Amino acid sequence: MHELKIAEELIGIITEVAKSENLKKVTKVNIQFGKMIMIVPDVFRFVFEGGVKGTVAKSAKLNLEILPVKFACNKCKEETEIDDLLFVCPYCGSNDLDLTQGRETIIESIEGEKC
Amino acid sequence: MEIKIMKNVLDRNKNKANEVRNLLKEKNVLMVNMISSPGAGKTTLLEKTLENLKDKFRIGVIEGDITTDRDAQRLKGHGVPIVVINTEGGCHLDSHSISKVLPEFDLENMDVIFVENVGNLVCPSHFDLGETFKLALVSTTEGDDKPIKYPMLFREAKIILLNKIDLIEYTNFNKASFHVDLNNVNGKVPLMEISCTRNIGMDKWYNWISKQISSK
Ligand SMILES: Nc1nc2c(ncn2[C@@H]2O[C@H](COP(=O)(O)OP(=O)(O)OP(=O)(O)O)[C@@H](O)[C@H]2O)c(=O)[nH]1
Ligand SMILES: [Mg+2]
Ligand SMILES: [Zn+2]
Repeated sequence: MHELKIAEELIGIITEVAKSENLKKVTKVNIQFGKMIMIVPDVFRFVFEGGVKGTVAKSAKLNLEILPVKFACNKCKEETEIDDLLFVCPYCGSNDLDLTQGRETIIESIEGEKC
Repeated sequence: MEIKIMKNVLDRNKNKANEVRNLLKEKNVLMVNMISSPGAGKTTLLEKTLENLKDKFRIGVIEGDITTDRDAQRLKGHGVPIVVINTEGGCHLDSHSISKVLPEFDLENMDVIFVENVGNLVCPSHFDLGETFKLALVSTTEGDDKPIKYPMLFREAKIILLNKIDLIEYTNFNKASFHVDLNNVNGKVPLMEISCTRNIGMDKWYNWISKQISSK
């Protein structure tokens, strides 16, 4: 249930920004999570909806994008996107890789109405 | 209207973790974040490791436990400082709770702090504590499919210990397929087969961890 903690932090950021930007209502929240974070979207929506009750974001729509895993090969320098979680370079077979995408927990933006 | 934020949702945890990491570096203390499923053998590994290394190094322990201090009680006889963090239902430790208890250790006179995280293979691997590295412990009784199911942990760990090797013949744990899966997820990480209770492979572990502590 790391979804819970991530949702809490997210709601904290949303309410802070909404306050400083004088929003009376947050209508949409745009977030991106890397696949490696293993968020279960339905669970995340559920805890998010529970957490925003009574806040400025109570009717906000959650736009959640899951980013695929990408890595760069340290041997042949090629970058690869994978959807199985097979961490082997398809070009040269090396397993000396650096993850370049897939671990994000990003809040891109929020949408809303000014006071 | 749209307001751009572009921020890591876990920034607060990350920033605090970096603070912890800097402090430990300044004090020259190694911190090991131990992650496994419930019952894989983290506390048993700590018991044996304390027994073996406490005369050689100045060791501290942080016990992450949901509600009790049972694990800390088991380690008490060794005379090393132990601090319990109760997560009150939380399924993982975070950097704020670590930062809060660090002042309870005499960091000037400490070589290594072992952190037993809450038993869970998913959540702890997403929260940086400021540790020097993560240790993943799996046991033969939980099945051989863990690397594929929990790739984040197996990619992030600096060492993997396969415990309860003494029980392997009573299980359907397939070592070959475990190796294949682990190799696919992380072909670079060292793997050691051990039995904490039967003392199999433990010397190799003591040597490895001693080297990490000495060369910090
Ligand atoms: N047969 C066998 N049993 C072991 C071994 N290592 C640990 N155990 C047993 O496994 C059980 C659980 O071990 P613990 O050390 O409490 O496991 P843990 O990971 O600390 O558990 P939590 O703190 O609850 O997550 C205990 O009964 C241990 O005695 C081993 O190598 N072989
Ligand atoms: Mg334990
Ligand atoms: Zn390559």
